[in-house]
Amino acid sequence: MSSPEDIARARQIKELEPLHEAWTQWTRTRESLQETLPLLADTDPAMRALASEEYTSITSTLTSHIQDIFPHLLVPASTTRQLSAMMELKSGVGGSEASLFLADLLRVYTRYANVNRWKTQVIASNQTDGGGLKDAIVEVKGEGAYDALRWESGVHRVQRVPATEASGRTHTSTVAVIVLPLAEESESMNGDDELFSMDDVKVEVMRARGAGGQHVNKTESAVRLTHVPTGVTVSMQDERSQHQNKRRAFQVLRARLMDIKLTKDIENRRATRRNLVRTADRSEKIRTYNYAQDRVTDHRIGLSLMNLTSFMEGDGVQDFLDALQRNHDEDVMEEMIGDADS
Amino acid sequence: MRPEPVRQLFARLALVLGRESAKLELKWMKQAHAASASPTDLPTMLERRLQGEPLQYILGTTPFGSLDLLSRPPTLIPRPETEDWALRLASTISPMANRPISVLDLCTGSGCIPLLLCHLWPPGSTRAFGVDISPDAIRLATDNAARCNIPASDHAFDNPRNTFIPVLGDIYDPGLLKELDPPFDVVTSNPPYIPQHEYDELPPSVKDYEDPIALLGDPPGAKEHNGLSFYERIAQLIGQQGILRDGAIVALEVGQGQAEAVESILRKRGGLRTTESWTDPWGKKRVVIGRT
Repeated sequence: MSSPEDIARARQIKELEPLHEAWTQWTRTRESLQETLPLLADTDPAMRALASEEYTSITSTLTSHIQDIFPHLLVPASTTRQLSAMMELKSGVGGSEASLFLADLLRVYTRYANVNRWKTQVIASNQTDGGGLKDAIVEVKGEGAYDALRWESGVHRVQRVPATEASGRTHTSTVAVIVLPLAEESESMNGDDELFSMDDVKVEVMRARGAGGQHVNKTESAVRLTHVPTGVTVSMQDERSQHQNKRRAFQVLRARLMDIKLTKDIENRRATRRNLVRTADRSEKIRTYNYAQDRVTDHRIGLSLMNLTSFMEGDGVQDFLDALQRNHDEDVMEEMIGDADS
Repeated sequence: MRPEPVRQLFARLALVLGRESAKLELKWMKQAHAASASPTDLPTMLERRLQGEPLQYILGTTPFGSLDLLSRPPTLIPRPETEDWALRLASTISPMANRPISVLDLCTGSGCIPLLLCHLWPPGSTRAFGVDISPDAIRLATDNAARCNIPASDHAFDNPRNTFIPVLGDIYDPGLLKELDPPFDVVTSNPPYIPQHEYDELPPSVKDYEDPIALLGDPPGAKEHNGLSFYERIAQLIGQQGILRDGAIVALEVGQGQAEAVESILRKRGGLRTTESWTDPWGKKRVVIGRT
């Protein structure tokens, strides 16, 4: 058995690996440069040509270190990198078409999770008559799931002719996505992150049961939690077991409170800086899926991907998530430079 | 599957249960149908439900804490109120394998209470007995024990387990407890507690499907008519010398408005020093807790 200290140490070593690797390569390339410089003035023209080629390749490696690799190492390791994710999807404007698109999006995320070997489980959902979903909560379990998926928070807009539309008119509908950080249940049991005290949580059962007990055998398993200090409420009724509904409601509550805490942490950090970086507003429209033009556009970074099918049925979502991560890293670096200047 | 009948049946169910409940029940029926190889198809399930049969009998199972127990007519379906206090009782007591305790559950029915305790308490810490007068109940409790992987006896010394023994017996039989190896550390019971006049008003899903002997609080010929006969008998049983161990805890589920009377019965006839009532999630005093 490895002790917690061993695990922490192993984790630290693993996290330092990229830094070590970058420095080793930098030093080695510098040495090659030193060896190559005299050869540029060699008497043998063939040797001079070789050295010149070598010089070009070395300079480009060094440049990429300075421009790309080193700056990226400046981005501090994410404090949420261990966390799983909980995604809440809610259909917005557009009625049944929004519900159909919600089901489509859910498939995109499930497939993306599978590719990354994260486990998904839909823990609550509301089916509509037309085969869509009015809303859904899906758990994506695995290290890094939250960090990868967090950029999906916001309003997703779809423009297409609904399958149910006879006249062939294009509709615009929206689905709101919120990605929440999810800690392992066992982790939060040891009191690492005191997100809430049980005294602050009001647990309510939803419907009256008259005399209750032996008098009634109807299933009434719905549960509602209210976190009194924040006013956050969670309702859960998908399971036949009240016990299960309560357990899941607590999971969602924990994720929402963790989300509030993370947002507050970020705001606190930003408040100490002069330049207030734009905050991510969850009511903001972040992406448009235009079927007629076969195009997905992310409005935050102005990235458009032609070939909508590759997004809906393939791994197109990865391109967006990568670009958003890069964008985030650049923001962080800019902030750091701003700090250094002040 | 014939989609049209399902839609019509669902619409009728929504009129009876309300749309929200009907949607949930339909979803659970679909899940149960997909999960088991049961030949019962969706329209049949919906038709049975429309006739008033409890969902738990149609699906064949009832969740109870973290257990998923079998439900078969006519044995009483475990209620969420019972689940709530059984979970609370389980966290109130913490038995250990080096000093195992004895549990007696009277009127055990499906076996839900002792099985949940055996499931939640550490392996080797608990020996439970469940008594019921109904052979149907004892068969179901036996099947449920097997389903929960809780054996009737434990011979493995290196890998101890909790045990549960279902016992067919009548709590009015004077010799009953002597066969069961007292003293007991925990006595639990969800005895029949519904008075006759309330029984007559019960919804059909209870009255027409669940065993009257699991519900009627006063057996034929009883002196009382307030649903309290079984509490009198249980108090008499545990009040006998050598039945409860010193420091024992007694937990009896009660019906609406019965808690105070049962507390008094336990103190007067059961010889328990202290009693209290625990409230269920719906705000009713649901279980009386007594201590020696």
